[in-house]
Amino acid sequence: MNGPDLLTRCIGYLPQLLDGALTTFVLSGVAVCCGFFVGVFVYTMSVSDSRLMRGAARVYVSVLRGTPVLAQLLVFYYVPSALGLELPGLAAAVIGLSLNTGAYQSQILGAGFRSIAPGQIEAASTFNLTRRQTLWHIEVPQVVRATLPALVSEMIDIVKASAVVSVISVTDLMRVSQQLSSSTYRPLEVYALAAVFYLAITSLLAGAGHVYAQRAARRP
Amino acid sequence: MNTVIALIPRFIEAMGVTLEVSVLAALIGIAAGFALNAMRLAFGHPFKLLYGAFVWLVRGTPYLSQLVIVYFGLPVVGITLSAVQATIVSLAFYSSAYFAELFRAAWASVPRGQLEAAAAFGVSRRDAFRSIELPQALAFAAPLIANQTILVIKESAVASIITVPELTMTASDIVASSYTYIGPYALLIACYWLLTQGVSVIAQAATSRIPFSKKTS
Amino acid sequence: MSDLPILKLHAVGKSYGENRVLKGIDLDVMRGEIVTLIGPSGSGKTTALRCMNFLEAYDEGEVWIKGQLLGYRSTGRTAKDRDSEASIAEVRRPISMVFQQFNLWPHMNALDNVATPLVLAKRTSKREAREKALAALKRVGLDHKADAYPARLSGGQQQRVGIARALAIEPEVILLDEPTSALDPELVEEVLNVIRSLAQEGMTMVMVTHEMSFAAKISDKVVFMEAGRIVEAGPPAQLFGNTRTPRLQQFLKPWLERSLDFVSQGATS
Repeated sequence: MNGPDLLTRCIGYLPQLLDGALTTFVLSGVAVCCGFFVGVFVYTMSVSDSRLMRGAARVYVSVLRGTPVLAQLLVFYYVPSALGLELPGLAAAVIGLSLNTGAYQSQILGAGFRSIAPGQIEAASTFNLTRRQTLWHIEVPQVVRATLPALVSEMIDIVKASAVVSVISVTDLMRVSQQLSSSTYRPLEVYALAAVFYLAITSLLAGAGHVYAQRAARRP
Repeated sequence: MNTVIALIPRFIEAMGVTLEVSVLAALIGIAAGFALNAMRLAFGHPFKLLYGAFVWLVRGTPYLSQLVIVYFGLPVVGITLSAVQATIVSLAFYSSAYFAELFRAAWASVPRGQLEAAAAFGVSRRDAFRSIELPQALAFAAPLIANQTILVIKESAVASIITVPELTMTASDIVASSYTYIGPYALLIACYWLLTQGVSVIAQAATSRIPFSKKTS
Repeated sequence: MSDLPILKLHAVGKSYGENRVLKGIDLDVMRGEIVTLIGPSGSGKTTALRCMNFLEAYDEGEVWIKGQLLGYRSTGRTAKDRDSEASIAEVRRPISMVFQQFNLWPHMNALDNVATPLVLAKRTSKREAREKALAALKRVGLDHKADAYPARLSGGQQQRVGIARALAIEPEVILLDEPTSALDPELVEEVLNVIRSLAQEGMTMVMVTHEMSFAAKISDKVVFMEAGRIVEAGPPAQLFGNTRTPRLQQFLKPWLERSLDFVSQGATS
């Protein structure tokens, strides 16, 4: 392998890989955000007065954490078409990833919810805030602040998990590298470069999380 | 429903492949991870840097990414592996980084004071390692190892992409040939769930036998 | 000017499983009255207070606020007979509370802590809520700390913000649950001063406290509770000076001795 040639080729791959990387990053970000609301919802189910709700939450978390993401994505991509609804790959990917991260986030956020002093909820109740208002105005802001490092960690996991959406025809970083590899017959350098891109994304996120954690530790 | 029941034998066979691949990769990963941690403890700073780089690389990239490098990329430099071989090698490599970190945490969990006390009482370093550090570290590690093995089983689904005849590949095959979606995929989810639950249950039963272990939640 | 009590408890009872914590409490609170509940730990005084705004669901008797039954639809007292969240909110709208542990919301500054109940529960516009909140903070002497977060405030300041929050919704009755018990002694005075000024303005208050001198000075009625029952109730002069209840005498003994010491040492009380 010729050094300068290799470099030229790699530079040639950059535009497409960057495009794929952007798709991966945005897809993961959207999934984590949607997953946040799923997580809050599943958490409220898990502490509901109804045994049915609590059981449903437990089953949901158990199945989504106990099975591979790829299997879940295949379900969300193919099963709707069996029921007559054609779901584009990107939509299935967002739904599948959101539901998956939602299961994990419900556990992460749950720890945050439990750390809030009950007195604060009592005060909210006394002043006649509805339970929904208490949830979104009193609890959630504090839960986010308390669990942000764990949520960043979860986003890193989702970025890595998202590589399999290439299987349901989403042109993410992985799929772009697969296309490049078959068109250039140079799998090693293409896949290695794609891996570097993934590494860059996850390292950036890890760094951001680290910076936030340090800043949070300094606040009183 | 009858068609679903008819599929069960194929799924059981596929479950066997999944288990074979996963367990083999996990065992190699555990051994490699243990060795890596031991080397990190024994050797000094330069190895620590290498170790850090290794963990950063392997844990910072998706498993699929590493699998395609091993299966499609290595032939370019003359190393050609079959799909199953590539899966086991790459999965072992991938999990070894996680197991290494796991053992690192396990060793860190043993309070320094105990080793100091051992030294003060004239217990040799090797005996201290064998009778004080090792048992406690392993007790700490046991539930984590079980958890990581479950993660390896889940990750093995990715091998379907390079047509290893494990669970996910089998389900996709059936779907492609029969045009039914719900039955095969429902079975797929059920099989994985049973596998991961099974490992979890066995692990909990096993670790509860250890008198001083910390239980998994 | 109505003769009816603004807050009325009739045969109120409360049990936690087998444990009967309140055994039939009767209490009338008239508009403008200051009622203080005193008694040993476990006497049920805090539970009684928390039943008055349904923070605890009483399971016997009735609590009336301005003539409306609180918490239940009619005579049943099981969980199924409870009123809807909206109805309970409506009935207890005139009631406010100050907590022993302040219970401020740590992610909001003082102004937002005071304004939030107005914005969310009373649906006040944000601008009007801020004005009212600022006025309430001024009332307790903390308008200069409107931007401060609770973590940056002393205990006494936090409690005063809590009082401002209770005031901002323009309540007709304020419940105070041991408002100074969690404070360092040097910070107690500033809070008592605020409470005293509220009393002087004619606010109706029901307070649980261990500050006997304070209770003696500002109360219209003092209620002594023990083991879930009201043992004696009446004006402070009666309970603190002239009681014939031996249990109350025993309870007040340390305070009486301390007050006499003060007097004999020539200190002004």
